[in-house]
Amino acid sequence: MTLSRILAKTVLWLMAALVLFPLLWTVLGAFKQTVDLLTPVPRLFFAPTLDNIIYVLSRQSVLQALINSVVVSCASVVIGLVLGLPAAYAVARYPSRWTEEIQFFVLSLRFLPPVATAIPLMVIWLNLGLYDSRLSLIITYSLMTISITIWLAIPGFQRVPKEIEEAARVDGYGAYAVFFRVALPVASRALIGALAFSFVLIWNEFLIALMLTTSEAKTMPIVASEMSQLGMNVPWGILNAAVILLSLPPVLLLGLLSSFLNALFSKNPNR
Amino acid sequence: MQQRQSLPYVFLVPTMAILVVLAFVPMFYAIGVSLENRTLSSPDSHFVGLKNYLLLFGDSRFVNALWVSVKWELITVSATMIAAIGLGVLMFEAAGPKLRNALSLIFLIPVLLPRVCAAFVWKFAFHPLYGIITYPYRLITGQPLDMLSSPTQALFAVAFVDLWQWGFFFAVIVLKLIEILPQQPLEAARLDYAKPWQIHVYITLPMLRVPLVSLMFVKMIESLRSFDLIYVMTRGGPGTSTETLDMYAFSQGFIEAGKISYASSMAVIMMVATVVIFTVVWKRLKS
Repeated sequence: MTLSRILAKTVLWLMAALVLFPLLWTVLGAFKQTVDLLTPVPRLFFAPTLDNIIYVLSRQSVLQALINSVVVSCASVVIGLVLGLPAAYAVARYPSRWTEEIQFFVLSLRFLPPVATAIPLMVIWLNLGLYDSRLSLIITYSLMTISITIWLAIPGFQRVPKEIEEAARVDGYGAYAVFFRVALPVASRALIGALAFSFVLIWNEFLIALMLTTSEAKTMPIVASEMSQLGMNVPWGILNAAVILLSLPPVLLLGLLSSFLNALFSKNPNR
Repeated sequence: MQQRQSLPYVFLVPTMAILVVLAFVPMFYAIGVSLENRTLSSPDSHFVGLKNYLLLFGDSRFVNALWVSVKWELITVSATMIAAIGLGVLMFEAAGPKLRNALSLIFLIPVLLPRVCAAFVWKFAFHPLYGIITYPYRLITGQPLDMLSSPTQALFAVAFVDLWQWGFFFAVIVLKLIEILPQQPLEAARLDYAKPWQIHVYITLPMLRVPLVSLMFVKMIESLRSFDLIYVMTRGGPGTSTETLDMYAFSQGFIEAGKISYASSMAVIMMVATVVIFTVVWKRLKS
């Protein structure tokens, strides 16, 4: 091993530490009492406590927010799938002079600054009497889940070997049967990755939830961020515990998302 | 044959119709509200024409927010791209398959974290008295280091967290892009005793120009979604030194005055600016 290679490897390990260390420190912080957290010299060894975690999990607002987050994320992801997958398949398999325009339109939805849609939507939901409800959040998020599903599912459908679809047609399958019984199952592994991405996107969403909810429909990121405002001093231990609870679902999907990326950036046999 | 003709319509028309409604109704509503003088506190409002827009351009806080947003875009996009290319190339050169896989997994974590969480993790790390990042500085100088309260450093401290989330993620993508390139030109250059950095500067990166520019485009769009990060870490402060356009629109519409119409006029300007700029950039990318 040459010197430069050793140096390069050291840099890579340092970078890995830069990712992991702050996270481990946060996990440790969740088990610390305030006296162990607020020390001029950072403390690695301490008497661990479960108080922070128990406090977070026993709060009514956290439970309510967890339910809201799960319901809202799952519902909008499902809407994204139901409406996005057929559209993605049509774009991937039935090219026409509209295809490119449609793809650009779907992409351009992501250009819209969220604050710019949240402000008018707040007024609209207030007028309709749906402000601060899960329904209004789900509808608002559907715009995001439908468009992300379309974008991520198009390559998935393009990778389905055309021969399989044609063989099914020869066997007498209609166009719809080919989609439901051939293309969907064959592409399903890639599609699960797209589903996970759109779930993480909604689970993590903050600005729209902040503007469209005040009490009933608050999601987890909002409640977690409010933990910093309990009393006079920032309760860092409780905050660390809330951060971990909120981060768990996306981190648990890490393996799935990583293999989705691998598939997306591997050589495409069809091209 | 009948079915093959109907499928694209059945699959596309309802979805596109819903997307159009969900996107355009708020857009036109924002334009409508921005022409009124609506506030959150009073239900009465009437048409005031372009008054809100004229007020905006005399509003020094708006001009400041515009400038902060431009700075934010420049800093985060360039830092992410430079770090991602450097780190991606380094992984390709120095890491074997096992290490690459492990690092690819680790480097994906920060971008998956909710931005609120990343913000809190680093806000505590930057804490002037108790933070782990500021600890070495405190140890050496005996002084607290308060980057988030410094008008000159706060924006960079927040941008660092953005880089932490996106730089590692993009590095993984850069690695994968290099991996799927045809390897023959690289081998040929190696046989000619080209140095690794020469191979990448003169061969790999030019071959990856198109995907790298697309990545940059994605980062430009995503950098505009940094409200959560700034909201948690500085709330636009100290003063207005980290107040981006979305932060200012939010505080005008919700916190300070409830001036919904005024905030809407800002929203409309942001919408028009981003849609026009990104459409031009995208069309250029495509051609």
